[in-house]
Amino acid sequence: MEFQVKKEANATVVMITGRMDAVTAPQYESSVNELITGGDTIIVVDFDGLDYISSAGLRGLLVTAKLLKAKGGQLRFANVKGTVREVFDISGFGSIFQMDDSVAESLAKLA
Amino acid sequence: MLSSRNIAYKLILIITVCSVTIFAVTIGYFYHSSRVTLERELEETARNLVLASVNRMETELSSIGKVGEGVVRSLETGNYPEKSLNTLLKGTLEGNTNIYGFGAAFEPDAPNTHTRPVNYFCRKNGQISFVPVNDLQFRTHDWYQIPKELGKKEWSEPYFDTDVEILMTSCSVPFYDGAGDNRRFRGIVVADVSLAWLKDIVASIKVLKTGYCFLISRNGTMLTHPDKEMVMNETVFSIAESRNNPELYEIGRKMVRGESGFTPYIGARGVKSWMYYAPVSSTGWTLAVVFPEAELYAEVRALTIRVACMGCAGILLLALAVALIARSITTPLHELAEATEEIASGNFDAELPPVRSQDEVGKLSQAFISMNKALKEYIRNLTETTAAKERIQSELKVATDIQLSLLPRIFPPFPDRPEFDIFASMDPAKEVGGDFYDFFFIDDTNLCFLIADVADKGVPAALYMMVAKTLLKSEGQRLGEPERILSCVNNILAADNDRCMFATVFCAILDTGSGVVRYANAGHNPPLIMESQGIRYLTLKSGFVMGPVTDTVYEAERLTMQPGDTLFLYTDGVTEAKNSEDLLYGESQLLYDLQQGPRENLADMIHHIRDRVALHANGAPQSDDVTMVAITYRGSGSG
Amino acid sequence: MILVLISILLTPDGEAAELKKATLMPLWSTQAQFAGYYVALDKGIYARHGIDLTILKGGPSVSPSEHLQNGKADFAVLSLAAALQQNGAGNRLVNVAQIIQKSSMMLIARKTSGIRTPADFQGRKVGVWNGDLATNAFFTKYQVRVQQIPQSYTVNLFLRGGIDAVSAQWHNEYHTILNSGIKADELNIFFLDDHGIRFPEDGLYILERNYRKDPAFAASFAKASLEGWRYAFDHPDEALDIVIRTMKKEHLPANRLHQKWMLEKMRDQMKPRKNGGEMGQLSPSDYEAVGLALRTRGVITTVPGFEDFIGRHDAQQ
Repeated sequence: MEFQVKKEANATVVMITGRMDAVTAPQYESSVNELITGGDTIIVVDFDGLDYISSAGLRGLLVTAKLLKAKGGQLRFANVKGTVREVFDISGFGSIFQMDDSVAESLAKLA
Repeated sequence: MLSSRNIAYKLILIITVCSVTIFAVTIGYFYHSSRVTLERELEETARNLVLASVNRMETELSSIGKVGEGVVRSLETGNYPEKSLNTLLKGTLEGNTNIYGFGAAFEPDAPNTHTRPVNYFCRKNGQISFVPVNDLQFRTHDWYQIPKELGKKEWSEPYFDTDVEILMTSCSVPFYDGAGDNRRFRGIVVADVSLAWLKDIVASIKVLKTGYCFLISRNGTMLTHPDKEMVMNETVFSIAESRNNPELYEIGRKMVRGESGFTPYIGARGVKSWMYYAPVSSTGWTLAVVFPEAELYAEVRALTIRVACMGCAGILLLALAVALIARSITTPLHELAEATEEIASGNFDAELPPVRSQDEVGKLSQAFISMNKALKEYIRNLTETTAAKERIQSELKVATDIQLSLLPRIFPPFPDRPEFDIFASMDPAKEVGGDFYDFFFIDDTNLCFLIADVADKGVPAALYMMVAKTLLKSEGQRLGEPERILSCVNNILAADNDRCMFATVFCAILDTGSGVVRYANAGHNPPLIMESQGIRYLTLKSGFVMGPVTDTVYEAERLTMQPGDTLFLYTDGVTEAKNSEDLLYGESQLLYDLQQGPRENLADMIHHIRDRVALHANGAPQSDDVTMVAITYRGSGSG
Repeated sequence: MILVLISILLTPDGEAAELKKATLMPLWSTQAQFAGYYVALDKGIYARHGIDLTILKGGPSVSPSEHLQNGKADFAVLSLAAALQQNGAGNRLVNVAQIIQKSSMMLIARKTSGIRTPADFQGRKVGVWNGDLATNAFFTKYQVRVQQIPQSYTVNLFLRGGIDAVSAQWHNEYHTILNSGIKADELNIFFLDDHGIRFPEDGLYILERNYRKDPAFAASFAKASLEGWRYAFDHPDEALDIVIRTMKKEHLPANRLHQKWMLEKMRDQMKPRKNGGEMGQLSPSDYEAVGLALRTRGVITTVPGFEDFIGRHDAQQ
C-alpha cells in the first residue's frame, strides 16, 4: 500500500493505493494518527487507487474515525468504488461514513 | 586435501618452471659464450702451433735451399772443371747431413768443361758415393724442367723413392752464366732431401687427444697424415670429392693458393671439427691442424654439465623449500578447513587450530575463532528466540484448539429433530483467526444459527471471538429475536472498544414448525439460498458491523423456507481463497460448484466445496479461516 | 679327402693342363688403364685359357717395345702409332687386340690463358710428350707453330704456370689436374679425336715371329685379356681393389678416385666406334688413317697390310 498526503486549503487529502489489509492497515493507522496529533483534523481519504480492503483495513478506518471524532474533526471518503465499495456496502460501512464521488466533492462539502 | 595439494603443486610448478627457464637461458648463454671464447683461444693456439711448426720447416728447408744457392753462386762465379766440381758437390754433401743426394745437371749445349751432363752424389750405407746418370730424359723431369722454365729455385712435388722407400723432395736451383741479355741458363743444382723429418715435426704437434695435423703439397697431395693410406695417395680434392664435401674442396683451393684460415671442418666419418691451416711458403705446402669439436668443447661441456647438475640440485632444493613453505601455509589452512567443516555440520564446540603465527594464515585463524564465537552467540540467541517463538506457536495452537472446541462439532447435533438438517465446518488459517458459527434452540421450535467473522487475526481477534460468541449465545437465548440479539451484543462489545475490534455477524432464527426464518445482518456477506428454482443470494439489508460503535440499529427480515430449501452461510475465507497466482476462488465459482455438487447430504456439500476451494488454492497457504454453515429445512414433522 | 675335393674344384676344366708361361709389358706403371689384364690375372682368367701370365712392371724408365724386341716380354701394350713405327723400323708386330678405340689425347689450357680455339695455340708454350705424333698432327692440321716444351710424366709444370697448355690423356692427366683443385669450368679442353685426329691407342702386340709360332696362343691371350676387361667393367669396385692393391705393392701413389675415373673412361674408350662392333677389334679405316698420317709425316715409308698386321692372314692359313 502507498500512502500520500496532500494538504488542501480546508482539508488534508490522504491518498491510499494498493491493498489495505492486516499487514498494511497499521501503517495507515499510524500515518493518519500522526496527521491527527499534528492537528490535521479535517481529512478526506481518497480511495481511488485502492484495490482491496480487508476487515483489518476496515478496522483501521474505524480506529482513525473514532480518534478524529474524539478530536472533533471531520472525515470524508472519496472515490469508494468497485470491490472496496462492495465491502463497504456489505459491512454497513457505507451507511456510517460520509462518502463522495470525488475528492473535489468532498472538499466542497467540507467548505 | 586436494586444494592444499593444489596450492603446493601450483607453487612448485610455477617456481620450478620459472627457475628452470632462467637457469636454462643462463647456462645456454654461458655455454655459448664459453664456446666463442674457446674458439678464439683455439684459433690463437692453433695459429701459434701451426706457425711455430711452419717456422721449423722453413728453417730446415731454407738451410737446404741456402746450400744449393751457395753452390750455384760458386758455379756462376768460378770455373769448375769436373774434378773440382765433384769435390765441391761431395764436400757440400758431406757438410750437410740433412741432404740425401746432391748434384749438378747441365744443359746439353753448356761449355764442355764437364764430361758428364749430370754429376750426382748420394749417401748410401753411410758412405757418399757417385751415382752415374745415363738417362738424358732427366731434362724433362720436374726437378730440372720446372726451375728452368720458371727461372727460380723450386721445390719439387714430393715423391716416393722406391729405392730407399722414403718420401723425398728435391730443391733445385737454376744457374746461369753471363749477365743481362747474355744471361744464359746452364743447369740445375739439385739437393734431394728426405722428408722423414717432416713426419717428426708434424707428429710432434700435439693437438688435444684426437686432434691431428696434416701436410699437403701444392697440388693438394697428402704428404703426412695420421692415416698412412692417405699419404701420397689422396689429394685434399679427391678426399673432398669422395666424401662429397664441397666445403673441404673450397678449403683445399684456398690452401693451394697459399692462404691461411680458421674454419669449421667436417672430418672423416662426419666428425665436426675446426681446422687451422697456414702455408709453408717456400715449398707451397700447407700445414693444417684439425681439432675435433667434441673434444674441444669437452671441457666446456663437462663444466656445463656440472653446472647444470648443480643447478638441477638447486632447483630441486628450491622445489623442496617451496613445498615446505606451501605445506606450512596449507597445513593450518587444511586444519582450519576441517574444523570449519565440523562447525558447518553443527558442532560449534569443534576446536579451531591454535593461532601459531602472526602471518595471514594466523590472522585468518584468528578471524575464524572470532567468527565461531559470534556464530555460537548468534545460535544461542536464535535458539532462545526460536524457543520463545515455539512457545507462542504452541500456545496459539492451544488457542486455536480451544477456539475450535467452542464450536459445535457433533453432527447431526439434534438427531431427534427431523424438521431440518444442519452441517457446519470451520478450517482455521495458520494464524489464530476469528471466524465462528453457532446454532442452538431458543425454545422448542426456534433454532438460532449464526455465522460470524471477527475482523483481523491473532490473539486479539481470538479473544474477541470468544467474547462475541459467548455473548451471542447467551443474549440469543435470552432475547429470541435476531435484531435484538445483535443490537444488545453490539452495545456490550462497543463499550470500551478503543481498538475498534468488530465482527460481521449473520444471525438467523428458524421456526422449525413453519419454515419461517427471521434474520438480521451485521455487515456479513449475504448467504445463499438454494431453492427448487435455483440458487440465489439472499437479499438483505446490510447492517453495520458489530462492535465498534454503540447503538447501531439492526433490522430483522424474514424468509420462508420451503421443505428442501437450503441456506448456505459462509465467510469471505471461502470466496477469497487464493491460489499461487493470487486468483480468488470467487462467488461465481462457488455458485457453480454448489450447483454441480451434492445437495442432499449437507456434509457432502460442505466437504465438496471445501475440496473445490483446496483444489483452487493448489497448495497456496490458506490466509483466512474457511467457514461454512448449511441448513436445510425438511418441513414440520406432520408435513 | 677334403683336400682332394678342393684341388679338383680349383683345377679349371677338371684337367691338369700344363700352363704356358707368358709375360705382358704394360705401357706404363700399374693403373686402371690396364685394369683388364690385372683382373684377368687375379681372377684366373688367363690360367683358364692355359696361360701362366706375368705382368711386368712398367713405368717411365721402361720401354715396352724394347722389351718385345729383346724378348723380355711376350706381349706389350703399345699405341697404334708406336706399333706402326716399330713395324716401319723392321720390328714386325702383330696386333692381337685393339683396346682403346680412339685417341684419348687432349690439350688443356687454363681459360685465363686466352686459348679458346686451335688457332690460339700459335706461339704458345705447350707441353708435348716426346715423339707424340697425334698432338703434332693437331698442330699441323691447324697450321699453328707452338713452342713445344718436352713434357714429362707429370703435369706439375702446367700446374705451376710454366706452360700455357699441356698434353693430357682423358683418362689420366685430365683428372690429375681436376684432382689438384682446378675446376673443369676453369679449363678449355681440346679432344684430338673431336678434331679428326683419330689415333687409336692401347693395343696388344706380339712379335710377328712369335705370333707365327702359336697364333692360337696369341688369340687365347687376347680373348682372356678382353674377358678380363669385361669382368672389370661388370665389377668395377673389385677391379679397382685389384689395381690399387697392385699399385700399393709397387709403392705407387694410388688414388682410388683417380683410378675409378680412369676405369670409367676406359670403358668409354673401349666402345667400338660402330654400333654392333666388337670390343678389341682394330678398325681398318682408323688403321689406314693412322698409316697415312705417319707416312705423310715421313715417320714410316710403308704401311703393312691390315690383314697381316692383325695376323688374320696367317691364322686363316
